Amino acid sequence: MSVISKSAPVNTKATTQCSTDMFTRIVKFSPRFLLALLILPVLGGLISVLLPAFGYAPVLEQTTFSLQGFNALWQTPGLTQMVTLSVATGLISTLLAFIITLMILAAFFNSPWLNRIQRLLSPILVIPHAAAAIAVGFLIAPSGMISRLASPWLSGWELAPNGMFPHDSFGISIILGLTLKELPFLLLMALGVLAQPELGKKLRQQHKVALNLGYCPMTAFFKVILPSLYPLLRLPLLAVLAYASASVEMPLILGPNTPPTLAVAIMHWFNDVDLNLRIKASAGALLQLAVTGGLLALWLGAEKAVKVLFSDSLTNGVREYGGFYWQKITVVLTALVISFIMLSLIGLVMWSVAGFWRFPDAMPEQFTLLHFKSALMQMGSPLFNTLAIGLVTTLFAIILTLLCLESEQLSDKPISRFTSLIIYLPLLVPSIAFLFGLVWIQQLINNQAAFFNVVLTHLLFVLPYVFLSLASSYRRLDPRFAHVAASLGAAPCKVFFKVKLPQLFAPILIAAALGLAISFGQYLPTLLAGGGRIATITTEAVTLANGASRRTSAVYAIMQMALPLIGFILAWVLPKYFFKSARA
Amino acid sequence: MQSSLQIKNCQLYRQNELLLSLNEQVNGGEILTIMGPSGSGKSSLLNWLTGTLPSSFKANGEVWLNGQNIDNTPPHLRHIGVLYQDALLFSHLTVAGNIAFAMPKGNKKQRLEKIAHALEQVGLKDMGNRHPDNLSGGQQARVALLRMLLSEPKAILLDEPFSKLDTQLRVDTRELVFSQIRQHKLPAIMVTHDHSDYDAANGKLFTLNTVL
Repeated sequence: MSVISKSAPVNTKATTQCSTDMFTRIVKFSPRFLLALLILPVLGGLISVLLPAFGYAPVLEQTTFSLQGFNALWQTPGLTQMVTLSVATGLISTLLAFIITLMILAAFFNSPWLNRIQRLLSPILVIPHAAAAIAVGFLIAPSGMISRLASPWLSGWELAPNGMFPHDSFGISIILGLTLKELPFLLLMALGVLAQPELGKKLRQQHKVALNLGYCPMTAFFKVILPSLYPLLRLPLLAVLAYASASVEMPLILGPNTPPTLAVAIMHWFNDVDLNLRIKASAGALLQLAVTGGLLALWLGAEKAVKVLFSDSLTNGVREYGGFYWQKITVVLTALVISFIMLSLIGLVMWSVAGFWRFPDAMPEQFTLLHFKSALMQMGSPLFNTLAIGLVTTLFAIILTLLCLESEQLSDKPISRFTSLIIYLPLLVPSIAFLFGLVWIQQLINNQAAFFNVVLTHLLFVLPYVFLSLASSYRRLDPRFAHVAASLGAAPCKVFFKVKLPQLFAPILIAAALGLAISFGQYLPTLLAGGGRIATITTEAVTLANGASRRTSAVYAIMQMALPLIGFILAWVLPKYFFKSARA
Repeated sequence: MQSSLQIKNCQLYRQNELLLSLNEQVNGGEILTIMGPSGSGKSSLLNWLTGTLPSSFKANGEVWLNGQNIDNTPPHLRHIGVLYQDALLFSHLTVAGNIAFAMPKGNKKQRLEKIAHALEQVGLKDMGNRHPDNLSGGQQARVALLRMLLSEPKAILLDEPFSKLDTQLRVDTRELVFSQIRQHKLPAIMVTHDHSDYDAANGKLFTLNTVL
């Protein structure tokens, strides 16, 4: 016995007292389940792409290790071009989206314009990549909106010219598409950070201090806000970079074919009738992993270099770097980005209802609902699949997320850093790499449940977003409500269902809408895990984008946008409706 | 020429409700104290002076600093230093970095010497490389004061600057701030809840009421 007798820590939290009931056990177990659910498929997928890459593929009756896959890969004509294209499009689009985001934030910090820009750009978030690619393709095509608006008065074109866009061999179209799609994402992530009550207030006050010290507003943003903001933007940025360097939809719709980006090439090899090409594809998937990993490392290295290079200029007292001109440039750039997005959407809608549409005319001569009618006739089964997969996946993701967040509060300690990093794992590892591994596994165990497989893979991409979207509101719940309920004798289970969930009604609906939007937009996971047997609106849209009529393609792209939009509108309207009826 | 901050016929409104009207001139080295209950528009008056009044407020009147009308000068060119109740030091910079941030650009070595000298004067010798979050409240307040003074402001606004310090610290810090204001002959306006602040300021008092 020590001299000073320490009393055992008394846990006064009423919620932890009955820790043996079923509910508590399920809740406490859920984080481990979440981890397993995220790690096993990703790691399993990576391992099972590693083995075939080195020649071990029992499915193809190859059981000896060899470098034949890599040899075949190195001998692929144009491999260097493929890798260069992947690296260039990924890096440049991420950099552009990041820089424009910073310029917008710096130029409009603390101005009402920032809110207006946010309102204009946030609907873009729900547009799936495939639909965005189709819309951008329509905009820059030789007979697209830009060329129509400029013809014939400026360009002199009476007939549609032989333009290089889209599918240009430099990947400019891909860069444009990715930049326009990722810019709203990064901007909203940054605004989300600035909307955090305490941090946001502190940063706004510090910005004000810098203004009082004579700093031009844009300089103040870069010297005062950015150093505190950047660490919170790092993960979203890396996710964008990883996605951009390995995505399939955008390069498939906007990119060149000879040769395509590495990710697209790998997908073609995998889907080839010659099954032996799969060995090469697995080797390619490893190369993709190295390319994306290299890019992420490069970004982190560049970040360090920038920090060292500019650390002196933070305190050199210079208050103005031509802020006036940068402000003007940013205004022009922002207007350009917004008008680009608006024009592509307007063009998309017009194509979907266009009858006869001669080239230089900005408007179709006739409007018709024929394309919608005929497309909707064939859309039944893809639409059902899309909704069924989305709903099942999202429901599961929401339940699991809520249980994990509840376990955080029951055990009174936040989820470990490891877990929160793992949640991002599916966003940072190129999906093309581990998804192929998953397909190998499915074939090995002869799993034919295509629907289940698709739901499982969708879950990998839906879970991170649902978790991120719900976590902040869950953690911000005033704990005193739960304490009061517990002191009135409510069991943890009752507190969870009767006190916490009703308070979280609106955030849960938003998270559900987000989860649905993510699931609706998945192309590669649906295609691979479903073995090509499950058609969704998105897989149909991508297939149609490269071939069928522009009008049908436009209808599918609009459907792709409409579905998530309906989800978000419901998430926005339902709480108002319910609270209204509660008050009445 | 003696420095001065002049407020001509200021009327401050919140959604068409008149909060205060004020017509004052503060000369260099003087401290005008403004007292009044919460919500009476004290902080908004300071925001108006620095040019950062939120759009939910409206104000008439003119601000003249050293004989110049600065109504249309953007906030960052007004050269009005502000001390808030929170030190608001930049946590991505060291103590010295915070002060260097505020100083006019120039020779790096001279700037560093000036910072070291200034820190020594307020009893923070050799603290330049410390991280601001690791300082005590009183130390943070002194760094915030140095940061503001070395930016060479033409006038100073104090927004309840001592309210978060405990009594003894409050007296010391206040003494330091006021002596610096008098030494640099700067016009100052102080918003406070505490009568002892006004007594120490030894200047004019302007009291606001909620109902006018």
